[in-house]
Amino acid sequence: MFLSDLPLGQRAIVLQTPDSLPVKLFEMGCMPGEEIELVFAAPFQDPMCFRVQGTLISMRRDLAKLIPITSPDAR
Amino acid sequence: MPDKKALRIALVGRPNTGKSSLFNRLTGLNQKVGNYPGITMERTTGLAKWAPGVLAEVIDLPGVYSLHASSTDEEVVMEALLQEAPEERIDRVIGLADGTNLKTCLFVFSQVLDLGLPAVLAVTMRDEMERRGMELKTEELAATLGCAVILVNTRTGEGLDALREAVLRAEPSGKLPFFQPGGLHLRWLAQVQEDQSMALPYRAWLWGLKEAQVGKSDRLQQPPPRARTDEAIQRYRQVNQWLRAFFVADPVKDRRWTARLDRVVVHPIWGSVILFGLLFLLFQGLFYGSEAPMNFIDDQLAALSTWLTDHLPSGFLAHLLSHGVVPGIAGVLMFIPQIALLFAFISLLEESGYMARVVFIMDRFMRPFGLSGKSVVPMVSGTACAIPAIMSTRNMENSRERFLAIAVTPLITCSARLPVYALLIGLVIPNSAWMGMNLRGVVLLGLYALGFVAALAGSALLHRWMPAKKTPAFLLEMPPYRWPQGRNVLTAVWNRTKSFVTEAGKIILAISIILWFLASFGPNRTPDFTQERAPLPIEESYIGYAGKAIEPVMAPLGFDWKVSVAVVSSFVAREVFVGTMATLYSVDDEDNTTIRAQMAREVNPRTGQPYFTLAVGVSLLLFYAFAMQCASTFAVVARETKSYRFAVIQFIVLGALAYGVAWIAYAMLV
Repeated sequence: MFLSDLPLGQRAIVLQTPDSLPVKLFEMGCMPGEEIELVFAAPFQDPMCFRVQGTLISMRRDLAKLIPITSPDAR
Repeated sequence: MPDKKALRIALVGRPNTGKSSLFNRLTGLNQKVGNYPGITMERTTGLAKWAPGVLAEVIDLPGVYSLHASSTDEEVVMEALLQEAPEERIDRVIGLADGTNLKTCLFVFSQVLDLGLPAVLAVTMRDEMERRGMELKTEELAATLGCAVILVNTRTGEGLDALREAVLRAEPSGKLPFFQPGGLHLRWLAQVQEDQSMALPYRAWLWGLKEAQVGKSDRLQQPPPRARTDEAIQRYRQVNQWLRAFFVADPVKDRRWTARLDRVVVHPIWGSVILFGLLFLLFQGLFYGSEAPMNFIDDQLAALSTWLTDHLPSGFLAHLLSHGVVPGIAGVLMFIPQIALLFAFISLLEESGYMARVVFIMDRFMRPFGLSGKSVVPMVSGTACAIPAIMSTRNMENSRERFLAIAVTPLITCSARLPVYALLIGLVIPNSAWMGMNLRGVVLLGLYALGFVAALAGSALLHRWMPAKKTPAFLLEMPPYRWPQGRNVLTAVWNRTKSFVTEAGKIILAISIILWFLASFGPNRTPDFTQERAPLPIEESYIGYAGKAIEPVMAPLGFDWKVSVAVVSSFVAREVFVGTMATLYSVDDEDNTTIRAQMAREVNPRTGQPYFTLAVGVSLLLFYAFAMQCASTFAVVARETKSYRFAVIQFIVLGALAYGVAWIAYAMLV
């Protein structure tokens, strides 16, 4: 499952991400092991806005497609 | 008096932490807006006396999430902090942290500390922390960080004295380092330190990773992968530890009204309704709100002009002042109401946190054009006037997007085109009904639509053609909603207006005087400045000759020499077209209907029919829709892009486009 598949209001845990992703993502707080929640999304789910580490970060769908997640229970 | 060296203090922190509020508090209105060397990014500094004999120069650095460069913002901050030349070196750092969102703020601050700079942490949003039941054990945190931690309230000024004191006393932290590279990274770092003889590891780390990223230095060994990622993970682990130990939040009191507000504000339907409502308000405000002050300025300067004519002996000087200098000054002052209104509006959007939502809502729509939601503001304000619109692009962080927005904004139908459109539409479009609507109204609406379509299409084309350097990833923080602070709004308005008057204003005044000269002097006739009317007939002035000289060039567009002269002279401003036509047709009063009647009587000597046919009219309308016929726009573009070349190329390209479109339209209609 990827971040782009997360339904509105649901939480998940970020998994190990590929090295090609912008490091800024990490520096803004979105990193493996953190809990992430889809807070709101624009029409067609693009862009999407997530809460992670207490910050609201929005990103485009094509980036969210690259971030693997798992359900919080799997931890 | 010898120039005493000021203590250079940099403000470093994440965006939306109240950085500009603190900056305004620390410096007052004594601010200087300049540029960073080599790039068009703005740099604001302010001087203030902090203690007897202590002058502080506060530097407001861009908001960043990390010191590593992902975009120009971080590059600027890193460059400033790594500076070693004595006159450029940063003496003290004030790190900013939003008390309600400490985690990501402490991340950047721990990087700053690792640079070994004397720093103080200012924790803002104190009032909100209390409201939300949050408590920070500042003394314990200070002991762990090895620097002072001060709670401040930028609304009331609470904590500012303590902050100033702490800054003056600050020393490098003794608790370093907060980040320790491991294994391969450490070996690479040791190599960089040795090669560059840099004593401080983190300085070498930042510098080395930046150099490797730019690929400038080939002596530098490539760093092992995941250097920045590992640093981020380690630092967050550290920060989380601190927060667990020193930060308490009461989950019951911590109710977020940001989340509740967002349910409406970014709602797929209501969000758009709110956004378009606000943009409509902006449009109305710029059009009607600025009308009264603009008329006032106009009246005062007209009165000044008359006074000068009456009280000065008639002659060269009186004419220069009343017809060259005063209109030039008017051309500068007239824009102030709109500029002030627009920047008050933008500043309210930014301060409240709504601007990030605008970008979010509009992103999908603006993406194909290479623009983001931020371009909506210049596009909409461009319908009033391109001058404030182009200035408003300053708030864009992405320089590529800013370039696109500046390039296409002059295509949007501004209010100066309206008199020209009104005159020409009244002349060549019949006053009949079309699908139940007045045909003239439909044409005017069509011209507005054409402006938007041309601007967006132009941007999309440029976006396609322009070599795309690595564009920073679209990662945008949605800040919590906050009440805007009046002080910050006023400061923004004041700084923008001041820089417009002192910088673009000079160019506008100069162009106005040059054009006055070209209209008042001619090669074959000595101007007579003693009479009431123009010093010489316009067709015998340099502008007149220029108009006649380009008549053959303009002939394919259907323009005769009179129209050509009017087109050339309206380079000052588009609406001058109407006045010039009036002069050329010897109409005394500048009433639209009278000029229109006179123009309607004009006969084409070749055909014996009325000269202003539908073909000529449409050709002229399209020419004015595309051409950059505005000296002030030219001046502002040159000033904002720091490049006359940009402005000249834009002028030529838009001129060529106008010519081409008008030509095709004329050829098809004639």
